[in-house]
Amino acid sequence: MSIFDKIIDLSSRTASSILKREKPESLADSDLFTDSDKEYILKHLTDEKLLKKRAVLLQQFNKKEDWKAIQSKIDVPVKKLQIWKYAAAVAVLILGSTLYFSKNHLIENEPNKVVVTKSVITPGTDKAILVLASGEQVALGKGSVYNSTGVHSNGTEIIYKNDNTAKNTIAYNYLTIPRGGQFFIKLADGTKVWLNSESKLKFPVSFVDGQPRQVELVYGEAYFDVSPSTAHKGSHFNVLTQNQNVEVLGTEFNIKAYQDNQTIYTTLVEGKVHLTGSFNSTILKPGDQSVLENHNIRVAAVDVFNEVSWKEGIFSFQEMPLKDIMRVLERWYDIKTVFKNKAIENSTFNGILDKDQKIEEILNIISNTNKIPYEINQKTVIFK
Amino acid sequence: MGVQCLTLKEYKSVFNTLYPSLCLFSNKYIENIEVSKDIVQEVFIKIWEEKIEFHNDAAIKSYLYTSVKNRSLDYLKSRHYKVTESLGKTDFAQMETDPFFLREVVISETSLLIEKAVNTLPAKCAQIIKLSIKGLSNTEISEELGVSLNTIKTQKKIAYKRLKPLLKDCFFIIAFVFEIRN
Repeated sequence: MSIFDKIIDLSSRTASSILKREKPESLADSDLFTDSDKEYILKHLTDEKLLKKRAVLLQQFNKKEDWKAIQSKIDVPVKKLQIWKYAAAVAVLILGSTLYFSKNHLIENEPNKVVVTKSVITPGTDKAILVLASGEQVALGKGSVYNSTGVHSNGTEIIYKNDNTAKNTIAYNYLTIPRGGQFFIKLADGTKVWLNSESKLKFPVSFVDGQPRQVELVYGEAYFDVSPSTAHKGSHFNVLTQNQNVEVLGTEFNIKAYQDNQTIYTTLVEGKVHLTGSFNSTILKPGDQSVLENHNIRVAAVDVFNEVSWKEGIFSFQEMPLKDIMRVLERWYDIKTVFKNKAIENSTFNGILDKDQKIEEILNIISNTNKIPYEINQKTVIFK
Repeated sequence: MGVQCLTLKEYKSVFNTLYPSLCLFSNKYIENIEVSKDIVQEVFIKIWEEKIEFHNDAAIKSYLYTSVKNRSLDYLKSRHYKVTESLGKTDFAQMETDPFFLREVVISETSLLIEKAVNTLPAKCAQIIKLSIKGLSNTEISEELGVSLNTIKTQKKIAYKRLKPLLKDCFFIIAFVFEIRN
């Protein structure tokens, strides 16, 4: 590592510590500086007066003007198109974390190519439909409160409590999350489940300790944080999907089993799970993802963060084809996508984006990074 | 990925990201923000005109900070400067040392990262995190802003949730131009 690489690395670690209000240990341990230099550095990063001085100076900048000054002094190639060709060939999308500085220089290119007739698209919200054992349906969402024996919802989540007056038959409820929705449920055994858009979970309203606990992800995507077997007289927890059973002993994992895709993805975050079905039964280690397709299962290590960030309010994409990114966005924004230019469907992108972002902000970046014009017509996004 | 010079888009991205920081960095040497701007602009023009090639983001930063430092020191040695202002000999000798340079680069880079991160937050969160960085406790922040302690706690939670992807693995992953190329 060159000294400069060390400096860059040290800066990022120090920034991270300061933001988290932790002691900047990397700086303290660094052999690049004397103690008084270290003190000087920290003072310049945290002292109110010095920060204010920096802020005041920063306000005096007019980046646009100064960029123009530079532009007028350099030779810019006349055929801009060639640059765009190159950029399109190495299609990479930068969103979210990097959006704030990519925005400035990416968005100003030919905005006239974007046609938005009338935007009716909004990000998703917390909402779900609860179907009781009696068949009765209850719409859950912001502002609606639901209370019944052993169950309570404040509109953004639903909590079940174990009913100890256990009956002989266990009643099942369903929770259905529409497109443009997400919901959190705490089951009667304490297991937490985050449900993504367009998902459906079948679950018992109460559990009997010592007997297997079983829920079914009818379709869609869910993140499970399972209450350990040891807390329930050794009761195993099972998650059924159409072609797969996941047996767990207390762990965290994500299952994606959407109907439009005959593939089931199971990603283990923590603990151990056992997958069974009409395929070779498989055990996953933390960080593993299994992909079940046509009765064949394969396992590979993945970056878990990309798989489970959705439950933290973030979408994280790495080397993901545009058509797959759009499939995720379609569910959250409840939109449709049309690719008039099929060639771009498989361009891959990296990016992190906030689920609260406006769809236009995301599309503008995709569009400008790659010179792909798009159009929004009601709830349909058309890439031309 | 080979060594190549920047495309116009990448070049502008570097400018947008680093220009103000580099000016403030130069200003640490010469204490004249207008002259600092001229120095940094000259360095940028040189990169483009001479088609200077880089093999990664660190190389770009290394080149920029080093060039701006050299030009700033040159300015302090110039006749024009000597006629109009004055600087103690010891100060100048200190400024020519590597520790002085590296110290200012760390301050510049770290500040830039913190500012970028805070700017991604909603206004209320950002305000609270800024006060927190200055060392204020939750109680002090709540008094300063006239909001409840619980609000501070909630806002901080939101802030950390939002910053989590940035702070992954204990340090920042910030894409710069080379992320665009890959």
